[in-house]
Amino acid sequence: MPRRDFLKAAGAGVAGTALLGSTACDGFTPAVEGTSNSLVFSFGPDDSGVVQAVIDMFNKKMGGKITVEYREMPADTGQYFDKLRTEFQSGVVVNDVIGADVIWPAQLAANGWLEPLDELFTEEMQSDYISAPLDTGRYNDKIYSVPWYADAGMLYYRKDLLDKNGIKSPPKTWEELYDIGAKVAGAEGLGYGYVGQGAEYEGGVCNGCEFVWNGGGEIQDPKDLAKIVIDSPEAMAGLEAGQKVVSSGVAPVAFATFKELESLTVFLNQDAVFMRNWPFAYGGLADPALGTTFDPKKVYEQVLVTTLPVTEAGQENFACLGGWTFAINALSSKKEQAWEFIKFMITPEIRETFTIDRAAMPPERSFYEDKKLIKEQPLLEVAKDAIASTKPRPIHPYYSDMSLRMAESFNENIKSEISPQQAISTLQTQMQRIADTNVPNPNI
Amino acid sequence: MSVASDARPGERGSGDGFFARLRGDFANSERRTGYTMVSPSLLLILVIGAWPVIYAIWLSFQRVIAQETSFAGLDNYATMFSDPRFHSAVINTSIFTVLSVALEFVLGVGIALAINRGFRGQGATRAIALIPWAFPTVVSAIMWRLMYQQTGGIMQYIAEKIQLVSGPILASEQATLFAAVFVDVWKTTPFVALLLLAGLQVIPGDVYEAARVDGANALQQFKSVTLPLLKPAIVVALLFRTLDAWRVFDLFWAMSDRTVESLSTYVFKGVRISQTEFSLGDAAAVFIFVTSLVIAAFFIRGLGSQSAGEG
Amino acid sequence: MSGKSFESPWQRIAFFTLIALFIVMTLFPMLYVLKISVVTPEELGRAIPTLWPRDFDTTRAPYFFTAYETVFSDPIFKQALVNSVVVAGITTVICLIVGSVAAYALARINFVFRSSVQSLILAISFFPAVAIIAPLFLQFQTFGIIGTYWAMIIPDILFALPLTVFLLLAYFRELPAGLEEAAKVDGANIWQAFYKITIPLSAPGVVTTGMLTFIFAWNEFLFANTFALDETTQPVTVVIPQFATTYTTDFGAQAAAAVVVTAPLVALVLIFQRRIVSGLTAGAAK
Repeated sequence: MPRRDFLKAAGAGVAGTALLGSTACDGFTPAVEGTSNSLVFSFGPDDSGVVQAVIDMFNKKMGGKITVEYREMPADTGQYFDKLRTEFQSGVVVNDVIGADVIWPAQLAANGWLEPLDELFTEEMQSDYISAPLDTGRYNDKIYSVPWYADAGMLYYRKDLLDKNGIKSPPKTWEELYDIGAKVAGAEGLGYGYVGQGAEYEGGVCNGCEFVWNGGGEIQDPKDLAKIVIDSPEAMAGLEAGQKVVSSGVAPVAFATFKELESLTVFLNQDAVFMRNWPFAYGGLADPALGTTFDPKKVYEQVLVTTLPVTEAGQENFACLGGWTFAINALSSKKEQAWEFIKFMITPEIRETFTIDRAAMPPERSFYEDKKLIKEQPLLEVAKDAIASTKPRPIHPYYSDMSLRMAESFNENIKSEISPQQAISTLQTQMQRIADTNVPNPNI
Repeated sequence: MSVASDARPGERGSGDGFFARLRGDFANSERRTGYTMVSPSLLLILVIGAWPVIYAIWLSFQRVIAQETSFAGLDNYATMFSDPRFHSAVINTSIFTVLSVALEFVLGVGIALAINRGFRGQGATRAIALIPWAFPTVVSAIMWRLMYQQTGGIMQYIAEKIQLVSGPILASEQATLFAAVFVDVWKTTPFVALLLLAGLQVIPGDVYEAARVDGANALQQFKSVTLPLLKPAIVVALLFRTLDAWRVFDLFWAMSDRTVESLSTYVFKGVRISQTEFSLGDAAAVFIFVTSLVIAAFFIRGLGSQSAGEG
Repeated sequence: MSGKSFESPWQRIAFFTLIALFIVMTLFPMLYVLKISVVTPEELGRAIPTLWPRDFDTTRAPYFFTAYETVFSDPIFKQALVNSVVVAGITTVICLIVGSVAAYALARINFVFRSSVQSLILAISFFPAVAIIAPLFLQFQTFGIIGTYWAMIIPDILFALPLTVFLLLAYFRELPAGLEEAAKVDGANIWQAFYKITIPLSAPGVVTTGMLTFIFAWNEFLFANTFALDETTQPVTVVIPQFATTYTTDFGAQAAAAVVVTAPLVALVLIFQRRIVSGLTAGAAK
């Protein structure tokens, strides 16, 4: 067989085995846009299958006028972002609608890769939204994304153990949390008073941001996004509380390597009093596949959820915003159809489907008041306060570079390798330098 | 590193000039074919190796942001040399290189001598020694990472039991660095041993016989016979290993979950992850290239002096 | 050298203890990872790790361990295996074609630049791959081949080539030149002598070389991590560390994936060990 034919055959074989729809590239040629009446929706893998089911509903409803293809992107969000970025840079249109992490819109919009949605996603439509998810979509006074679902850091606690040790209410301040955590862990023989995400990665950034905010500090000036303001006594107080997680002994040094799973595993092993985690962990409490040692029937009485503590009683508390949004590729030739699809995805019925079947927390307030829906998805009530207290990570075209710096400094702070003072002054310099880096001009 | 002899009887010694010999090559159809035969390889090396290096050097003097390129002079190098992350990359990589190469060498010599001794099961031992070498480095790193885990990791458990560490290995950059050295030693020592074994096996037995007759004991034999005759193999093994360790990427990346910096991870982060430090990463890549040349030159000179000494 | 006797039984015991220790140390991680892949998450989460597996995790399938089921039912992993085979396979084929011709010329033909060419090819194996990822990234982007197999195959060829050339060179040198000379006397040109006489005669060497080149390309990580953008082209080396969903890291599945990826390599190495050892050391000692 001539070599060219061999390569073709190999390519066909690969395309055949790719389970990623017709837009998947065959591995030998770069990816290209879908067919004329089909839209490509890019999003990470969805184990629940709900995303595909909803897309099928849309395609059926449209009766062939618009067909949406689900293009599975890498599960790792860093990789997903990297792939998007590279594809945009190469100027080939491979997707029309993008399921974008809340930290991306500014980064993508600054390069001119996203379509402004101000005329479509009207102020009136925005009125019911929680502000943090909306804010992440704004860049240079325009809105580039429509919130899909929201994540928030929440405090899970062992109600049963607190009761047993005579503690009436969950802690309001970090100081209280450490006291109670140490006391209850000691009395019950648990390894950890508190677990969260201390590792050097994006989740560690979220935990670190929460420490700063809950100390009363800010990272980015809310009025001037180009200004970094982390060098403040409040931020330092917050990071001091962060350092105490380990230095006070309430959590072992291993905390500095913990991501979501590690902390959840310890908690499911009934080896921790408190846990900071995302809403997804709530379902995990009763999930044998994750190795829970709780009795699924009783766990939701033993474990309750509240908002994160603050440095000093009375301060406003914040949770780091996570979650996903919809955005439209500026280069897409099917923007109208793309908007049709987004509109469908945010209709109340579809939002309810995602809420119930995927435990995805909606970004609109009214859902959290819907008694009927809460009955089907109790997490709504549980996560309500945390979601309402969300705050976005810095919104900047070079956020991912800022994130690398924060991940490093926050992690070093947890390990007491640097002092909180060093952490904030280092971050102030490094992040301001990144913020000052020329932002590309999309018009060139 | 011995090079194929260029001498053709009657030609090198005949005083013909270099160009005359070259002309001779092209007059001879067989030798002309020789050039044709090596040209695809040379072309590949030129296009995929040499040209990118030149391009990389040029890029290191540019500032590249979002596909916009502007001249930056020495800015990238200045920023790089003052970057604390680059400092820790240099320090980590140096520690890793010195420790892993030294340990692999010492253990490798020991294992090579043992296997060379000849015993029942020699073949099987040699085969087993090959296994870690065949593993993808990144998979070895993942395997060991599983064993270094705080929960359920057997290495962590053992290290704590014998009081080698007081906290979790993977939470400390330093401990992770030593853990990475350990993994590298596990993976590569057998290969170093096989390289040295090959060197040992060409040493004729009667040399030892002569030494023994002269009354040399085992240690003296090793120092006066084995080491000198093994030197070329040693230099080659050290050169391979040092350069390999100096450009370590997979192991650090996967073992430390991207947190412990090596020179190569510094390059990778700049080029592939950061949006503002592409040129910085490229400058570090040029740094690795130049330092690798220096290391190679150092070892090759060592080999050269050996050959000259043998005279 | 073989058969040298020990001076005392104690020396003998010490010697074999050391050899045994070496073998155990070499094999232990593989066996332990094998263990991780078959036990329950609960056993993995225990504070005191178990040495021998206790609770086998076969909950989801009665005949199969859960972690392996996870791995083999994952389209991403299966695709990654295909990708690894395609990338390593094509790299190997191209290296064998280009490399065997070059190795033959280096082994048989005396041309002026022979030693320089040989040194140059060898020098590539000392070349830090990371030095060229930045320019290659820009170039590949310009050519639009980022995220395709070619973006991995092209640099893989460069770094696998010295291995291929030097292994084949060693085999060709061992082959007596007499037969080729005879063929040439019969009127065959040098190309014909090469592919009609040398290649068939050195078939075992070519197979071993091909296998080692394949393993080399199979194990490559840096270029794959740099130039493959998603699961459609990422090989196993890139996918395994990310064997995780958005939030959770499944240790059992990672271990199972490591076992699946390395088991064939272990088998190949054990089957061909004699040839690999002679090939590698011959190549490296040059």
